Amino acid sequence: MLQRLLAIIRKELITMLRDPRARWTLIVPPTLQLFIFSFAATMEVKNIDLAVVDLDRGPYAADIEQRLRGSPSFTTLPHYASVAAARAAFERERVLGILVLQSGFSADLAARRPATVQLLLDGRRSNAAQIAAQYVTLIVSATGANLTGVTDAGAAAPAVAAPQPHAEVVINNWFNPNLDYRWYMLPNLVGMLSLSVALMITALSVARERELGTFDQTLVSPATPIEIALGKLLPPLLVAAVQTTLYILIVTLLYRVPFRGNLLVFYAAVLAFAAACAGVGLCVSSLVRTQQQAFLGAFALLLPFSLLSGFATPVENMPWWLQFITTMNPLAHMLRLMQGLFLKGASLASMTLELERLLEIALCTTFAAVLLFRRKAA
Amino acid sequence: MGSAAGRLSPTHPWWQQLAAVMLKEAKQVVRDPSSWIIALVLPLTFLFLFGYGISLDTTVVKIAVVREDDGREAQDFAAALVSSRWFLVVSASDRRAGERLLQDQTVKAVAIIPAEFGRSMHAQMTSAQVQVLVDGAEPNTANFVHGYVNAIWSDFLAARARQQGTLMTPPVDVQVRYWYNANAESRWFLIPGSMTVIMTLLGTLLTSLVIAREWERGTLEALYATPLTRGQIIIGKTLPYFLLAMVSMLVCVLTALLLFQLPLRGSLLALALVSAVFLVPALGQGLLISVTMKSQMAAAQLGLMTGFMPAMMLSGFLFDIHSMPPWLRAITFAIPARYMNISLQTVFLAGDVWAVLLPNMLFMLAVGAVFFGLSWWRLRKRLD
Repeated sequence: MLQRLLAIIRKELITMLRDPRARWTLIVPPTLQLFIFSFAATMEVKNIDLAVVDLDRGPYAADIEQRLRGSPSFTTLPHYASVAAARAAFERERVLGILVLQSGFSADLAARRPATVQLLLDGRRSNAAQIAAQYVTLIVSATGANLTGVTDAGAAAPAVAAPQPHAEVVINNWFNPNLDYRWYMLPNLVGMLSLSVALMITALSVARERELGTFDQTLVSPATPIEIALGKLLPPLLVAAVQTTLYILIVTLLYRVPFRGNLLVFYAAVLAFAAACAGVGLCVSSLVRTQQQAFLGAFALLLPFSLLSGFATPVENMPWWLQFITTMNPLAHMLRLMQGLFLKGASLASMTLELERLLEIALCTTFAAVLLFRRKAA
Repeated sequence: MGSAAGRLSPTHPWWQQLAAVMLKEAKQVVRDPSSWIIALVLPLTFLFLFGYGISLDTTVVKIAVVREDDGREAQDFAAALVSSRWFLVVSASDRRAGERLLQDQTVKAVAIIPAEFGRSMHAQMTSAQVQVLVDGAEPNTANFVHGYVNAIWSDFLAARARQQGTLMTPPVDVQVRYWYNANAESRWFLIPGSMTVIMTLLGTLLTSLVIAREWERGTLEALYATPLTRGQIIIGKTLPYFLLAMVSMLVCVLTALLLFQLPLRGSLLALALVSAVFLVPALGQGLLISVTMKSQMAAAQLGLMTGFMPAMMLSGFLFDIHSMPPWLRAITFAIPARYMNISLQTVFLAGDVWAVLLPNMLFMLAVGAVFFGLSWWRLRKRLD
């Protein structure tokens, strides 16, 4: 039995790697994607262009602008005479928002009256806008705080001013102290890229054999359906292991993302995940007739898998019924494993749960595929 | 193929020949169940998934609170965290337990109210520190957690000041308003973006298979043997897909308006015009791929890599183009989806702002002209 299995695996590897172009497509496009997406996929907000409408022209308005200029997040701060004048640039997305400093702003602040500034933001880019709003709020309130600090020290005995509360909140970011988005994206890309390869290879390999007619020959050979299925499953595991070794080297050495987990757990995760994906791919390929159908079927699964995994947006933001569906998504488990391994150094106990889930998915899908093959063979 | 076109003689008028190719292609589209699946089932499924599955609006974050102080102040602040609509609070017995929860991805943040918190709040010399450990692994959520904690904290301080009858120096109040999207709902900009992705999928992936299929089946020579000109072949092959894509765009728009309650502040005319113009580069790209690649498999893969993936990652659909490094921003100018994205977001959320729409449509037409020109040129080379 082992001999037959090895023979099938050898044959699969030969068909997969014989063509030099096919060998390249296994390595070059995913690596290129890892590189480009690590730069593209960022939710950090940088290079903000903010229009300033300064109707105040007082010292505190100038102070705010000075602080904005000093912040690395803001690139340009074009001035406009009025909101109406800034509106054209706003509509064309030349600026993300308009900061309006009403006349009397500095006077209010100096007299310790409540002072307000207005910030108009582009709702078409609401996520970037919300983060920019946080930056501006921090900077503007620093102006206010600075002011009170100065007057408290200067005035001998301020009658109305309350004692400043001696309390503060100190926020520390764990796992990713500078909130570098790439640290989040790169471990995710490791999972994402091995998903598409493992799924596509298995989905297409059976379909191609069907088109060529060699699949029937395999079915009438002494190999049992389980051996055939295993023979199709194991080569993608090998490919995934090789690819992820390359990725982990790039991610840790080139991008300097920490790896805080255990390498053995990492490879266990990769193999379990690749087995689950290959199982799904086998199911697809047992249902289709042509390569084109296999391609479409795999693609129709690839997109929901990647959308409902926490790859782009957090699972916690989804409605409960979609969160439930994500428990059946191998990528969702893989991403939690990758985050735990790379950044968090999560405990083995919390990881085994995810690993078990992946193995369950792998077993169920492979079993289903074997049943489908057997029915086709009969 | 070619039965309808084959009957044509060179004496037939140009448009009649064209109509024959189109009719043949349209029949093929209607008969093939897989093109129906691509044109109707996939877009609807994807819009549904995008609409419900993708959200950047952090709803409720699970956090742990470690309270080491039994005083009234500490209890008040813990209560403020519990009653906030942003947080789902679990309590942890001590620091170690809280940190463990954070490490095992059970909670997104741990707020530690230290012993002596209440006492140091009253003391003059020391300052009371609430420590908040945030899971920074996912920076977007972490940023929102920062904002929430700061807001709760300043509310807590203000309420405390009011109780004591003292007057706190009013900090500068920043009034934030979002134009076009008053509640800053991410769905409002993500759904027009998903339409761009779906249209790219339809326009590019579907057409990329058209001529590659004829090549694979060997019917391309038969097509060349007919009196059809290259222009007629190109128009006749793409126009049915154009109509098909417009129909699925209509389905997407209706779903967006009725199911997801998106506003349509611009006119239907502008929307139709923008969609039609976008299909020029989208179809052109598919056509170019399909005349370059000989197998359907290779064509589909290339369509996916050069059409679909850039539309997802580089069009500004999910990730803000302005935040990308300059060399990557330069690449996005070659991607038709980029122009479509901003145009759709503008028509849906802002209105018919022609100052935005016209230049973007012009760019799309220019990119489309390049694609069609190259395909026209490639088709001739094949005839040799």
